[in-house]
Amino acid sequence: MLPLLSIAVFLPLLGALILMMLPHKTARLAHGISIATTGLTFLVTLAIWARGIEPGGFAQVEEISWIPAIGAAYRLGIDGLSLPLILLTSLLFLLSSIYSARVSERPAVYVVLMLMLETASIGTFAALDALLFYVFFEVSLVSMYFMIIGWGYEDRQRAGLMFFLYTLLGSLPLLLAILGMFLGSDPYTFDMRTWIDTPPLSGLAAMLAMIAMVFTFAVKIPSFPVHTWLPAAHVQAPTVGSVILAGVMLKFGTYGLVRFALQMTPEAFRDAGLVILAFGVFSALYGAFVALAQSDLKKLIAYTSVNHMGYVVIGVAVASLTLDPGLRAVALDGATLQMVSHGLVTGALFFLVGMLQDRAHTRGMDEFGGLLKVVPMLGWAFVISAFASLGLPGLAHFPAEFQIFLATLSIQPWAIVAILAIVVTAGLYLRAISRVFMGETNEKWLKMPDLDRRELMVVVPLLILIVLVGVAPSWLLDMIHTTMAALKF
Amino acid sequence: MARDLSYLFPEMTLSMAVVFMLLAEMVRMPRLALAFGLVGLALATGLTLPLLDVNTSVFSGTYRIDDLSTWAKLILLPGTAFSLVLARAELAGKDREGSVYSLICLVTLGALMLSGAGDMMLLVLGVVLTGLGSFALVAYPRDDAATEAAMKFLVFGAVTGAVMIYGLTFWFGGAGSTLFSELGNMRGGSLVMVAGLVATIVGLGYKAALVPFHFWAPDAYDGAPISVAAYLSVITKIAAIFAFAQVLRDLPLETGWPLIIALISAVTMTLGYLAALVQTNLVRLLAYSSIAQSGYFLLGIVAVGSNTLALQSVIVFGAAYVAMNLGAFAMVMVVGRSLDDFKGFGRHMPVAGVAMVILLLSLAGIPPLFGFVGKVLLFGAAIDAGFTWLAVIAILNSVLALAVYLRIIVPMYQQPEDGAASVTATKQPLLTLVWVVTAVVTLIMGLAAEVLL
Repeated sequence: MLPLLSIAVFLPLLGALILMMLPHKTARLAHGISIATTGLTFLVTLAIWARGIEPGGFAQVEEISWIPAIGAAYRLGIDGLSLPLILLTSLLFLLSSIYSARVSERPAVYVVLMLMLETASIGTFAALDALLFYVFFEVSLVSMYFMIIGWGYEDRQRAGLMFFLYTLLGSLPLLLAILGMFLGSDPYTFDMRTWIDTPPLSGLAAMLAMIAMVFTFAVKIPSFPVHTWLPAAHVQAPTVGSVILAGVMLKFGTYGLVRFALQMTPEAFRDAGLVILAFGVFSALYGAFVALAQSDLKKLIAYTSVNHMGYVVIGVAVASLTLDPGLRAVALDGATLQMVSHGLVTGALFFLVGMLQDRAHTRGMDEFGGLLKVVPMLGWAFVISAFASLGLPGLAHFPAEFQIFLATLSIQPWAIVAILAIVVTAGLYLRAISRVFMGETNEKWLKMPDLDRRELMVVVPLLILIVLVGVAPSWLLDMIHTTMAALKF
Repeated sequence: MARDLSYLFPEMTLSMAVVFMLLAEMVRMPRLALAFGLVGLALATGLTLPLLDVNTSVFSGTYRIDDLSTWAKLILLPGTAFSLVLARAELAGKDREGSVYSLICLVTLGALMLSGAGDMMLLVLGVVLTGLGSFALVAYPRDDAATEAAMKFLVFGAVTGAVMIYGLTFWFGGAGSTLFSELGNMRGGSLVMVAGLVATIVGLGYKAALVPFHFWAPDAYDGAPISVAAYLSVITKIAAIFAFAQVLRDLPLETGWPLIIALISAVTMTLGYLAALVQTNLVRLLAYSSIAQSGYFLLGIVAVGSNTLALQSVIVFGAAYVAMNLGAFAMVMVVGRSLDDFKGFGRHMPVAGVAMVILLLSLAGIPPLFGFVGKVLLFGAAIDAGFTWLAVIAILNSVLALAVYLRIIVPMYQQPEDGAASVTATKQPLLTLVWVVTAVVTLIMGLAAEVLL
C-alpha cells in the first residue's frame, strides 16, 4: 500500500525543493512546476478519496516513530471530517496556482511559499499527532505571512505583522492545552486518537484546556470578538492569499473546534456549549451587519466569512448540547458541509474580485456600474457565487445551513435568531450586485476584457461544484455522515 | 585516583591544548594556536562520547560525570570550536590574535567545571575561571568602548563573586560540607538556607545574565569583538544554567526556591524582550534577546527537583540555543551591526536570508525548528512541576519574541532605497561555514531531536 497521505502532504514540498534546486528559475518554469505539483497532489487526494474511510475511528493511518521519549510520532489519518477538507484544500491550491500563473514578481519564491503552504495545510488536516498538528498549524502562518508582505497591496507590512502576531498569540494557548493533555495522558503520548478515545483531562483542567483551545480556534475561525485581524489581512493579501486564507486556513479553526475542543474535552465543551452557541449566534449576526456597511468588495466578502463561520460554530455548539445521536449528526453534518461550501463559494468570490481588481485596480463598489453588459461571464459568475453565499436553495450553502438550522430549531430554538443574518446577507449581496453589475455603465470600464481561458479554468470548476453540492449534496454528505453518526462522546 | 582521571580525559585534553596554544602564541604563530585549539576541541569532544550514560562523580563527589555535564561537553566544545572560527574570521592578522583563541579555550574549561560542579568550591572555581578570561576577552580591542565594557563587566563580576562566596559559607556552615549532595542535611534554620540560595542566584545569575544582574551584558557584548560577544552569549551562559541545575536539584523543595526562580524567570524574559524591542543596534538587540532566552532556560530549572523532563529540556534547549545564537551573531558579522544594514539583505543574498529567517524564527520558537522543540520540553517540564502560570507567561512572551525578531526579518525583504548599493555584506568563507552549519542544524534537529533524549 502506497502511503498516499504522506505523498499528498509532502509532494508540494518536494516540488518546492526541486524548484529551489534548479539553476535558471524563469517564471514559466516556476509556474509550470507549481501547476504540475498541485495537479498531481489533487490527483493523489482523489485516490485517497477512492480508498475511502471507515465509520468510527480513522482510516489510512500512517505511523512512524519520531520522538518516542515523549510519545510523539509522525501519525497521519483521515475520517469524514478531514477528508472533505483535504479535497477542498488540494482543489483550491490547484486553482490558485493556475490563477497565479501571471505573477511575474519573484515568481520562484512565490511558488515555493505557496507549495509550502499546501504541505502545511494538508498536513494540518491529516495529522493525528497533536505535536505534528501544531507544527503544521504554525508553519502555515509563516508561509502566509511572507506571502502577504511579499505580494500584498499598499499596507501589507502592517497587515502582515498584525496577522502573524495576532494568530501566533492565538495559537499559543493551544500549545498549552496540548501540553496539558500530554501530561494528563497515561502513558505520556501525543496521539490524538488516544486523546479522543479516552479524554485525558477532566474537571477544571479539562475546562481550562477547552477554553484555551476554543480561544485559539476562535481566532482562526474567526469569531467575534477576536476577528479583527481578518479584514486587514484579507484586504492587503494578494488574491491567492485571500482565497487560501478564507478557503483553507479559516477551516483550521472550525476543524480544530470539532477535532480538539469537542472531541478531546467533550464534557467541558457541553458545559460551555451555551456560551459558545451565543458567541456563534452573535458572530453570525455581527459579520452580516458589518459586511452591510462595507463598500470595499474584498472587505465585504471577508466579513461574510465571519458570518458563515458563525453558522459552523452554531452547528458544533448545538451538537454538543444534545444527547440524541441523530440530531447531533445532523448538526455536525451541516457544520462540516458548511466548511466545504464556504471554501468553494468564498474561494470563487475572492478569485472574481481579484480578477476585477486586476482589470480595474480598485475594489470600491461605487466606482463600477453596469458591468454585466461589459463583462457578462465575470458578472454572471459573480452573481451565481453571491447567490450561493446568501444561501439560495440549489446552491452550495443551502443544504449545509438548512441542516444547521434544523438541528438548532430542535435543540436550542432561540438560537434561530441567527437566521436573520441570511436576510441581511441577501440585502448586501443584492446591493453589491446592483452597484457593480447593474445600472449605468461607467465610461471608464467600457473596454474591460471579459474572463480569458485561464480565468475560466479557475472559476468554472468552482461554479460547477457549487451547483453540484447545492443540488445533490449526498456524495459529500454520505462521507461526512459516516463519521459523524459514529461519533461517541 | 587513576579511575577518576580516566573520566577527565576531555578536560585534560582541553587543558593541554590551551598550553600548546599559549606556546604557539609566544612564538607569534596564531594559526598554529588556532589549529591546536580546534584539534584539542575535536579530540575532547570525541573523548566525551564514551562517557554518555555514565553517571558517577570523581574526587570524592566534588566533580560530577553525569548526563548534564557530559551533554554540556558535547554542546559547549563544538560551540567553542565555532566561536574560534568566528574569531578567526573577525580578527585574522590582528595583533594578539592567538591569545584570544587561548583565552576562549580557557574560559570553556571553566564552563565545563561549572556544568559538572558537585561542590561549592568547584562552583566558585568555575565562576572565577570563566570570569577572568571573559574580562580579558571583552577588553581585547583596547578602545574606549571595550575598556569601559570590560570595566563594568569586571566590577559587576567582582561584587557578585564576593557576594556568592560570602553566602556560600553559610551553606558550608549549615551543612558541614561543601558538597551539594549534603545540602539536604542542612541545620541552622531558614536564614542559612536563604543566604546560600541568594548567593548562588547572585553569582550564577550574573553569569547567566538574569534580571536584575544583566546590566553588564549589552555593554560587554557591544564593546567586545562580535565573535567574543557570540561566544559569551552562549558558552558561559549555558555553563551557568547547567550549574544552576547541578546546585538546585540537590536543594530540598521545601525551601521554596522554585518559586523564586520562577519569578526571576518571568521578569527576565519579559524585560529582556521589552528592551530588545527598542534596540537598533543588532548586537545589543541580540544581547537583550539572549537575556530573555535565559529566562526560558529557567523554566526547566524550576522543575529540576520535580521531574526528569526538566534536565532533558534544559539540555535540548541548550543545544538549540548554541546553534541559533551563534548563527545569528555570525550573520551580524556578515551584514553589519545596524538594523539598517539588514535592509534588502534577504533580496540581495537569498540563501543567507533564508538561513537568517530560520535562525530567528527558531529563536522565536516557531515549529518545526530546533528552538521550538526545546521550548515545548521546557513548557512541559514547568507545567508538570505545577508552574502553569509561568508557562503562560512564557507563551505570552513568545509573541513579544516574534515581534522582536520580525523587526529584523521585515527590513530584510524591503526594497533598499537606493538600489542594492546599501547592502554591504562581507562574503567570508569562514562566516558562511558557521551560518550554514548552524542554520542546517537548527532546521534538521527540530525534526531529529530524538538523538538528544
